[in-house]
Amino acid sequence: MFENILNAVAAGLIIGCLYGLMCIGLGLIFGIMKVVNFAQGEFLMLGMYISVYLVAGFAALGIFGPLVGPFVAAILAGPVLFAGGALLHRFLISHVSGLSTAARLDQGGYGQLIVTLGISLILQNGGLILFGSTPKSVLTPLSARAFILGPFPGNALLFLNQARVYACGVAIVVAVVLWLVMERTTLGKALRAAADNPVAATYMGIDVDRAYRIAFGLGAAITAIAGGLMATYLTFTPFVGLDYVIIMYSGVVLGGMGSILGAFWGGLTVGFVQQVSALILPPQLQNAAIFVVFLLIVGLRPEGLFGRSAERA
Amino acid sequence: MNTKIGRRGALAMTGAAALAGTARAAAAPKEVEIALLVPLSGPWAEQGILERAGAEMAVDDVNKAGGIKSLGGAKLKLLIFDTGATVETAKDAAQRMIAQHPHLVGGMGCWLSTFTLAATEVTERAKLPWLTLSYADAITDRGFHYVFQTSATAKTQAEQTVPFVMKLAQGATHKRPTKVAIVGDNTAASVSFLKPIKAHILKQEKLTAVVDEIYTPPLADATTLVQPIRAANPDFVLVLSTNDGDDKMLADTFSEYGIPASKMPLIGNGGHWAVPELLKTTGAGILQDIMVGMANWPSKALAPLVARYIKRSGNPWMGQNEIFAYAHVQILAWALNKAKVANRLNVADAIRTMNITDGPAIYFPGHHLQFTSIGRRVGAALVIIQWQSGKPVTIFPASAAQAKAIWPV
Repeated sequence: MFENILNAVAAGLIIGCLYGLMCIGLGLIFGIMKVVNFAQGEFLMLGMYISVYLVAGFAALGIFGPLVGPFVAAILAGPVLFAGGALLHRFLISHVSGLSTAARLDQGGYGQLIVTLGISLILQNGGLILFGSTPKSVLTPLSARAFILGPFPGNALLFLNQARVYACGVAIVVAVVLWLVMERTTLGKALRAAADNPVAATYMGIDVDRAYRIAFGLGAAITAIAGGLMATYLTFTPFVGLDYVIIMYSGVVLGGMGSILGAFWGGLTVGFVQQVSALILPPQLQNAAIFVVFLLIVGLRPEGLFGRSAERA
Repeated sequence: MNTKIGRRGALAMTGAAALAGTARAAAAPKEVEIALLVPLSGPWAEQGILERAGAEMAVDDVNKAGGIKSLGGAKLKLLIFDTGATVETAKDAAQRMIAQHPHLVGGMGCWLSTFTLAATEVTERAKLPWLTLSYADAITDRGFHYVFQTSATAKTQAEQTVPFVMKLAQGATHKRPTKVAIVGDNTAASVSFLKPIKAHILKQEKLTAVVDEIYTPPLADATTLVQPIRAANPDFVLVLSTNDGDDKMLADTFSEYGIPASKMPLIGNGGHWAVPELLKTTGAGILQDIMVGMANWPSKALAPLVARYIKRSGNPWMGQNEIFAYAHVQILAWALNKAKVANRLNVADAIRTMNITDGPAIYFPGHHLQFTSIGRRVGAALVIIQWQSGKPVTIFPASAAQAKAIWPV
């Protein structure tokens, strides 16, 4: 039993880190810009496909190989989606968010729902046309290998899936770099100021529209990197985003709206609960367990785990 | 006898002849519509894509051979519909199919039993003859009149799989297995497969289920399913997943935990375990020795058909999904020929009363095609394949075996 607990906890933490990175992406868009983005799952999906094609490209060129290539590809999916996200914001999202909608009764909320839902459907079906519906996966032998630690008390062994361990490491590095950018750089300060009080930020000479564009691009990029990392052990189709978008929203709300750190911890909590709940509940109730914990936390602490204590990103 | 026909009579006869001609033209349309409703998006898409490949090839073969001869060479027209990834989208697609295509004479689908159960509620009301390879017993347990299940049902497959595995294990190890682990999803086919196992097969075979885990597909991670199996160390594992994404996740995790099929016998069920895409995403080494029970696999006698399919599709082999779809189109073509009219009720009657050993029957093990009063194929039995050196080969029944079964010792 100890071995079961040990492995479930470890799997929960590792998968939780990947969910955490995924949630940071949405945290930037939903938590900071207050844009309800239904297309976030599709950014994850695009990150997965970009990774697959980059890995195939690396293989054709004979560079990186199947051990390093998938992680390089996942990171490179970020800049691609950053550009895509920024363009999407420039031509569509900016019309239903930010300063231009501040005076509207709904602050652009209804428009956001329709526009992002539309983007989501276009990306899903465009993906179906472009990539086909055959499930894909990034090919790496790491997905079937484990680091074996132990024996621990009771002769328990701990198996850590190598693809997930490396993906988790990359996720933590990306999250830390983003946190440093937000906390220590002028760009980060501008983004936080634009998020806190867009009108005051404008008075201070910050181009709020540009700040939002960068935040949206970053949000798309971070989620795409998470997608690329998850593609090392998952198979996926153009509709994979639907499976994860609710997890992303729960993570962001659980962590506390407006907090980068909170979004990461929220995602980590979701992954942890999903795995550990299987120790006491039937596996088919794993996702139900997430929402029970979600309701409990939101009931006891409506502002989320880090809603007040964490510094606003 | 001298019969005089006046001008009026001649006109009447000409009119009658013209009407008769029109009636014949109406009875023998240029095209006859049949439907394929399968998952073409979502986790089960690969299965639908393969069914589509088989059905399209069959339609081309029928049309190239002169179409439906009793209907003046009418060509078959295959209309393809996507069930999507949920029961709701599958049922919606079935409703759209029926509403928008009133001239359909028959159809086939939906691969996943859960989808078939929903879609056939719609096709049955429309009295559309529906052929399915789906396994769940419930599909033909409902007293429907227009649903024809050509596969061995999940219960039949379960009752044949476990004794085969026990015999194989005993032959290889000289020891009777006593412990089994079960991991499966909660879709209709898996539930149907497990019902008789839990009800009587375990007891009958003196087996104890040391792990019994059911999950909701698709899997995000299989650690919590596989780790207890490693700890319990069963003699073999029944893996009842229903899509190749979950198959990969499970096979990878078994390998990660040091218990790949080459060390711990893994017995799957369903055509998804033997699709070319699984080989691409998972690799031959991980799949080696996995055994899979299913309802059909092209026999040696169908080698020319298989060769044509491989050339046409670019796929490395023809599996269960493709051969079933091919056979279903051939059954509809045979029934249309017999019915002599493009009418769904007559086509259903022709299928219901068929009892043949040639024509479309050659695409099934046993070469016999007849349906029971509830729409099950008479004598439908299990076929077992095993992954050997990166290829699925048949190991059961003995008459169709292409290779000897390997039991890890």
